Amino acid sequence: MSEHEGAPPGAVAKYDERQREILRGELVGLVAFTILALGGVIAISLALTAPRELYGYRAEHMYNYAGVQQVDFTTYLQRVNRPLAQASAESLAAYAEWQRKNPRTVNVQVLNKYLGDKYNETANVFAYMNAYFTPGVGQSCEYCHNLQNFAEYSKPQKTVAKAMLIMQFELQAKWVNNIPRPEGQPLYQIKCATCHNGQAKFWNRDLKASNPEAFGIAGGGNPTRYDMKHNGITLNGKVPDSYEIVDDRYLAVRPDAEGNVNYFQVTADKNTPAGLADTYRNQYAMYHQNVALGVGCDFCHYGGYFKSYVTADGKFKWPKTQARHMQGLLQDIALNWFPQMPNINDVTKAQDYYAQPNCYMCHRGYVVPPGAYDFAEYPVKVADPQIKPIVDLPLPKPILPPS
Amino acid sequence: MATEVYRESFERRANKVIYLRFLEGLADTQVGPIYLGMWGALAFFSYLLCVFITAIGFGEQVGWNPIRFLRELPVLTLYPPAPSYGLQLAPLSEGGYWQLATLFLTLTLVFWTIRIWTRAVANQLRPMVPIAFSAALFLYAAIYIIHPISVNSWNEAPGHGLAAILLWTNHFSVKYGNFYYNPFHMVSIYALLGSTLLLAMHGATILSALRYDAHKEIDEIEKSDEGTHRSQLFWRWIMGFNATAHSIHVWALGFASLVAIAGAIGVITSAPFFEPNWFLWGCRADIVSSIQAACPNP
Ligand code: HEC
Ligand code: HEC
Ligand code: HEC
Ligand code: HEC
Repeated sequence: MSEHEGAPPGAVAKYDERQREILRGELVGLVAFTILALGGVIAISLALTAPRELYGYRAEHMYNYAGVQQVDFTTYLQRVNRPLAQASAESLAAYAEWQRKNPRTVNVQVLNKYLGDKYNETANVFAYMNAYFTPGVGQSCEYCHNLQNFAEYSKPQKTVAKAMLIMQFELQAKWVNNIPRPEGQPLYQIKCATCHNGQAKFWNRDLKASNPEAFGIAGGGNPTRYDMKHNGITLNGKVPDSYEIVDDRYLAVRPDAEGNVNYFQVTADKNTPAGLADTYRNQYAMYHQNVALGVGCDFCHYGGYFKSYVTADGKFKWPKTQARHMQGLLQDIALNWFPQMPNINDVTKAQDYYAQPNCYMCHRGYVVPPGAYDFAEYPVKVADPQIKPIVDLPLPKPILPPS
Repeated sequence: MATEVYRESFERRANKVIYLRFLEGLADTQVGPIYLGMWGALAFFSYLLCVFITAIGFGEQVGWNPIRFLRELPVLTLYPPAPSYGLQLAPLSEGGYWQLATLFLTLTLVFWTIRIWTRAVANQLRPMVPIAFSAALFLYAAIYIIHPISVNSWNEAPGHGLAAILLWTNHFSVKYGNFYYNPFHMVSIYALLGSTLLLAMHGATILSALRYDAHKEIDEIEKSDEGTHRSQLFWRWIMGFNATAHSIHVWALGFASLVAIAGAIGVITSAPFFEPNWFLWGCRADIVSSIQAACPNP
């Protein structure tokens, strides 16, 4: 006890007593800290889960791997509180009159070309109009037609609609008909409703600025313009207002001679250039796809290795190969189709106010777009479409399971 | 005993001492005196500069709006220069701020290491704390300096910000083919979990022998007494062997340092010229048979 000699009398005993008190306090503190920390984590997760659920995220076991449409167009319209448009009585009467005079069509150029001679009969064209055009764009016949003469192009809407119809068939014939899919999976088709979802004006820059949610711009990976500037994301040379996959680099992607294509690959190999900016961009794109399809990353990926198309169980991830194919479709729309659609204000001019297309435009938070149809007649590929692509994009070679 | 004697004889001279009762149960209630010194002052000022530069970057990002600044603070990021700049200096708003902030952050850490080293020496302690701290410094250097230089691009370093470091972790892992398959990362995690296990065992052991004064650790190390003996007997019964009151601290230091050192090696070896894809390495090394189905065919 010789070390004690320098201390004042009683100081050591008092110090020991206090130390003991303190350590008892420590135990209480430890328990309190644990409870607080765990409670905090639980509270934050709960707070974050609720909105995620609202955005339509689903648990893995509920994923729609079968590719069967879970929400059809009518149900979807009910969910978003939008009426299913029908032809007005006036237009139906006018049509009946027209049909009596012209049982064969007068000036039909598109439907018959892609779907066959059946559409040289006015009644069949009417059936198509009534089932797809009017509900799809949410307008009765007079929006496009002069009710005295269904064949004439006096309204700009009809000119636009005709171009839209060509685009629809070209996209279907080139991309959707060729989507890689497992045997037995149904094949849905793009119709007016797939993009329009019952509204004529739904996708232009003014609307986008005022209502970004309707454009699927949400989710954890949504970058600010500042983020995009620093990760080298530009559209027409400028930093875009929001990131939804279409950017200058994406538009420049082409399949190589073997049909391999790289839209968003980032996993390194021996020759990968330095930098993580690409990985940021990749993740922005991936989150957009999550939001657009209402799924998590594991819907398309094996999370252990994102580059893989096969899981550790040896299951082939069809959604990933399908999504890669759809990235090509989206590029085609942005490069070739939207820029060539007639301008509603002056049908001789091309478009200048459409917003860029993105996955949400059709998918709306579902794996199969609610506005897509299981329709028995498939468009054929025609040799001379009236609107030709500006850039001829070769189809990428599909990635299929090893057989 | 040693602690008290030291206090009474050494710190009595200092009058800049305050007692904060609310610290009771968490720490010693005595606060101060604090030693600043040249290295402390240098560390302090260069950190201030780093924070200041970062704040400028953040301010620019939110258009100098204080409300937005507070609301978006968790996601605000000071980005490193774009890949095209390589290792060159970039204009301020295109990564130059990041380069300056990182320079001062690095200086801060170096000054701080020197500060704790000189204080240890002044206190006649072995410099174990600065040595342990340099393990952390090594990990920092690996991430912010060594790896970026080795791949010739500052862009591979993390941005500065709260979310930024988490995103970097994710992106770095994604780019290098899943970091979980990086064997150094495995060792690092093993040591991290080992450290927490050791720390919990040690903490609980000392607290369990409170009544035998086991909390007076310094004295315990000098000469074993009943608390130590009982605790050691306890662990011998439980696992057949036990650490000594001295060696447990060596274990702790070793494990904790290994976290950072293995992590740093893991970062440095993740590069195109070394191992660009740890998942494929895992496939080649055949370390987890269950992943083989996802391995590309050779
Ligand atoms: C022009 C509208 C449109 C756009 C834009 C679009 N898709 Fe699709 N997508 C469809 C249609 C229609 C189908 C249904 C095809 C089918 O039956 O497989 C589909 C199917 C899919 C499927 C397969 C679902 C299944 O199980 O059948 C995936 C995956 C997918 N799309 C991903 C994407 C991604 C990712 C994007 C954005 C890059 C995208 N899509 C953009 C219309 C679109
Ligand atoms: C969104 C615009 C739009 C709407 C709405 C619309 N149509 Fe049409 N309609 C067209 C276009 C475009 C064509 C030409 C199709 C083609 O060339 O293949 C067409 C063709 C027709 C034709 C054939 C005319 C001919 O040349 O012989 C008839 C009949 C017709 N529509 C009736 C209707 C009726 C009835 C409705 C309401 C139920 C309707 N349409 C709604 C755009 C529209
Ligand atoms: C690939 C997506 C897509 C498909 C498929 C599509 N549209 Fe469109 N359509 C658009 C976009 C985008 C606009 C611009 C909407 C806006 O102004 O908000 C548009 C505009 C229009 C307009 C002009 C609306 C107005 O008043 O400004 C008409 C008419 C139209 N589409 C008809 C059709 C018809 C008929 C079909 C089916 C044959 C169709 N669209 C299919 C994307 C599509
Ligand atoms: C709708 C399907 C889909 C979803 C959901 C999805 N991805 Fe992807 N992802 C793809 C496709 C397709 C590619 C390949 C693109 C290519 O080859 O250019 C890809 C590529 C990647 C890559 C690059 C792999 C490589 O080859 O280098 C990473 C990393 C990645 N995704 C991560 C994610 C993450 C993380 C999420 C969730 C936030 C996610 N993905 C969600 C379809 C998806």
